[in-house]
Amino acid sequence: MEINDNKSIEMDELTNEKLLSGHEYDGIRELDNRLPRWWVWLFITSIVWAVVYVFVYDVFKVAPHQQEEYKNEMAAIGGGSQAQQAMAADTAGLVQLTAQANLDAGKATWNRLCIACHLAGGQGLVGPNLTDNFSIHGCGYKDIVNIITVGQPDKGMISWKAQLTRDQILDVASFVATLSGTNPPNPKAPQGDPCK
Amino acid sequence: MENQTFYYDNKIVKYFAYATLFWGVIGMVVGLLLALQLIWPDLSFGIPYTTFGRIRPIHTNAVIFAFVGNGMFTGIYYSLQRLCKARMFSDILSQINFWGWQLIIVLAAVSFACGMTVGKEYAELEWPIDILVALIWVVFGWNMFGTIIKRRTSHLYVAIWFYIATFVTIAILHITNSIAIPVNLFKSYPVYAGVQDALVQWWYGHNAVAFFLTTPFLGLMYYYLPKAANRPIYSYRLSIVHFWALIFMYIWAGPHHLIYSALPNWAQSLGIVFSVALIAPSWGGMVNGLLTLRGAWDKVREDPVLKFMVVAVTAYGMSTFEGPMMSTKTVNAISHFTDWTVGHAHIGALGWNGFMTFAVLYWLLPRIFRTKLYSTSMANAHFWIGTIGIIFYAVPLYWGAITQFSMWKEFTQEGFLKYPNFLETVTQLKPMYMARALGGGLYIVGTVLGLYNLILTVKGGNFLAEEAASAPALVSTSHTGESKHRWLERNPVPFLIVALLAVLVGGLIEIVPLYLIKSNVPTIASVKPYTPLELQGRDIYVREGCYTCHSQQVRPFRSETERYGEYAKAGEYVYDHPFQWGSKRNGPDLSREGVVNGKQYKPNSWHYNHMENPQKLNAQSIMPSYKWLLGDKLDISTTPRKIRIMQYLGVPYPEGFDKVANQDLMNQAQGIVDDLKIQGIQTTPDREIIAVIAYLQRLGKDVHAADQTAGIAPLK
Ligand code: HEC
Ligand code: HEC
Repeated sequence: MEINDNKSIEMDELTNEKLLSGHEYDGIRELDNRLPRWWVWLFITSIVWAVVYVFVYDVFKVAPHQQEEYKNEMAAIGGGSQAQQAMAADTAGLVQLTAQANLDAGKATWNRLCIACHLAGGQGLVGPNLTDNFSIHGCGYKDIVNIITVGQPDKGMISWKAQLTRDQILDVASFVATLSGTNPPNPKAPQGDPCK
Repeated sequence: MENQTFYYDNKIVKYFAYATLFWGVIGMVVGLLLALQLIWPDLSFGIPYTTFGRIRPIHTNAVIFAFVGNGMFTGIYYSLQRLCKARMFSDILSQINFWGWQLIIVLAAVSFACGMTVGKEYAELEWPIDILVALIWVVFGWNMFGTIIKRRTSHLYVAIWFYIATFVTIAILHITNSIAIPVNLFKSYPVYAGVQDALVQWWYGHNAVAFFLTTPFLGLMYYYLPKAANRPIYSYRLSIVHFWALIFMYIWAGPHHLIYSALPNWAQSLGIVFSVALIAPSWGGMVNGLLTLRGAWDKVREDPVLKFMVVAVTAYGMSTFEGPMMSTKTVNAISHFTDWTVGHAHIGALGWNGFMTFAVLYWLLPRIFRTKLYSTSMANAHFWIGTIGIIFYAVPLYWGAITQFSMWKEFTQEGFLKYPNFLETVTQLKPMYMARALGGGLYIVGTVLGLYNLILTVKGGNFLAEEAASAPALVSTSHTGESKHRWLERNPVPFLIVALLAVLVGGLIEIVPLYLIKSNVPTIASVKPYTPLELQGRDIYVREGCYTCHSQQVRPFRSETERYGEYAKAGEYVYDHPFQWGSKRNGPDLSREGVVNGKQYKPNSWHYNHMENPQKLNAQSIMPSYKWLLGDKLDISTTPRKIRIMQYLGVPYPEGFDKVANQDLMNQAQGIVDDLKIQGIQTTPDREIIAVIAYLQRLGKDVHAADQTAGIAPLK
């Protein structure tokens, strides 16, 4: 390609490359260099890649789009925490755990997930006070396990079985059971029925 | 050929340069405040005007349109005159351009602080200011074209090609994306809804990056870099190829902001492939800049102007590589919604735009003040502090992003989310946020040093308002045997038209089908219009800029559906004017917040307490308090008109609903008030908080209901 406007040839002294004549803009000159080869190849490769991509994904549809990817991901793990959903709130034979390790684990879960409604000491704000001698869903350990597992979503207590394992639920329930009678400051007024 | 004498207008250049520095400092300081608010939410000061959601648009708009915008005008007004060998077409237009732009900036800042926003990123301005922007932009284009037409040079230099592309494309983007129907002077609804609004918005948003932050700055590079280095441009042919490739391809890449969203797959694919194919056209600019410096590297060591330029161009090369990588599904799956995006944006803003702007100012102010830079060592100090600032800014954010997405996606052996409480993934980032704030702080220190240096330069100089120059008038000569492109360079109007066509193609091919082909947005029968109360609540959500921290777009990953619920469907957003998908998550996604059997459900009383004082419920929360919502009265005088506009936009409210809408609103509000009362909270139905709660409790409900009806994958 000849892009010189006229034929007189000027060279850049430092690089000894051809300057384009007639290309002078407020003192700025331009060299007549070719496109760098690596750059051309980069460009061509990316365009080829782009065309192939569209054919693979959208014309022949041989690679999965996001919906199929999601299906595959879920199929691969076989339901994940949903397996837990099947877990009935079976409380038969449960006894409150008292080992320190269980209580510590329970407290950790409590601090992560429960205090946003029951507050750190269990004194209640959005959720009921768990330290007093009243309860909506029952005061026993099994009752606590049950409400944590199945929840009462319409009242604002979700079911935690999709976010906590059975063991974690038992631990946190055991921890909750220890809150009773702790008298934290600013308790929420009693709700539900008195415990026997 | 007789030489004509004429005068360059340096005064307008000086004005824009001062405005650049002024707004630069302000925009950056607001940015620093935001960075600190993400560590200490109390820095919102408990008043609406300074909360995160309201000042983030001030920061982004101030940096983009005030700092970089004025910087761009400075550079263009100086170089255009010299490249055309002509004074600006009209001094009056120059003045209107300048004062109009500053007025827009002031109005923007005030209106954002007051919560007047459209709720679309970088396009938040309400309609009256949008119109003003369009008018001032036309004034700028008119002035530029007038100058080009009366030029004394035969051909247009590559810098001017970029200026022209900037002008036409920004005009189209701004007008198309801003079309809205006013409710009143301070509030409007975009005509687009949901997926379509998202696509138009990110077509705009991405190309604001392309044609406001990239093309004009490439133009500036093409003028100031060879000037400062006193070297010829490396390759004219490369200029041609990368210019046209860049403007043609950039416009297609918008959907890369919407990967793994409810946008149709074909549109996502186009966004991905065009982004990747953009690496070479973008790097063309970098290569042409850096190779122009061959033989001048010794100067780079001495001259702060060149140092700033080298880092700017390198940062440009980095972010134009990183961007395409972030557009691939693999990287986007993890980087999106994290602070990676923010880090990426700042490599561009601080490195490319900021440093190029400083280079231009350091180069040009001493010239128009006929003096030398007051202190080279101070400029060098600015350079180093700024560079370290950029590193301290970006690296912690990348680190934080990696930390956060790992936590979002980590499962226990039993198949549960390891971090089911979103907040834990935020608390983990606080040290990184501190480092980022330090980086930003350093950058500001550098800027202030630069400001001081430039003030002293100006003080010691002698301003040349009217700079005499002379050149022969342009006479038509024959250009036999010239290439087609050479011809185009002599003919600005055809040039403009070709550039216009180049940018129109991509936009039309992506956007139009989304309107015409129904299957792109499959409807969901159970998705119903918002009730009047929810609509009002939604408008408050938009007003407060909740979208600056919260997304409303669950992505089709196990880690997302486990945390939030069913992934996003195009059909669920059809009544959303504007869409509120968000672009990063400092807080959890909210699009499933109202699903009673969902994972996130909270009772009304929780929301009430939480909006009043998030830290009362989550001590570590970084969400600001919105306690004024509890006291402020909801303005229901707008309801009938809002309903009518929605009807006009195709939302199927029954005929005459506008007349009973407020009755409906009050009934629903009373229900929430009654429920709160049972929880021991006394309030009245006419408070804003009630509307916000109603809206939050609606989110996701309809898609969930679709479970029972038809046509959609069941919720688990
Ligand atoms: C979004 C707020 C919220 C969160 C988070 C929450 N709860 Fe609750 N919780 C409630 C509400 C509201 C009730 C009362 C439900 C009712 O009225 O039936 C409740 C009830 C309970 C009860 C029964 C109290 C009674 O009086 O019978 C227990 C036990 C309990 N929650 C434990 C927990 C545990 C353990 C966690 C953490 C895993 C937790 N909660 C998290 C809101 C919450
Ligand atoms: C500075 C960022 C920020 C802004 C702005 C913000 N939020 Fe939040 N939001 C958070 C964070 C962090 C959390 C998680 C911790 C918590 O619950 O407070 C959160 C949590 C929430 C939740 C609870 C979500 C859940 O399921 O746990 C709701 C609802 C919410 N925000 C609503 C809003 C609304 C409405 C606005 C605007 C008026 C808003 N947020 C503005 C950061 C923010």
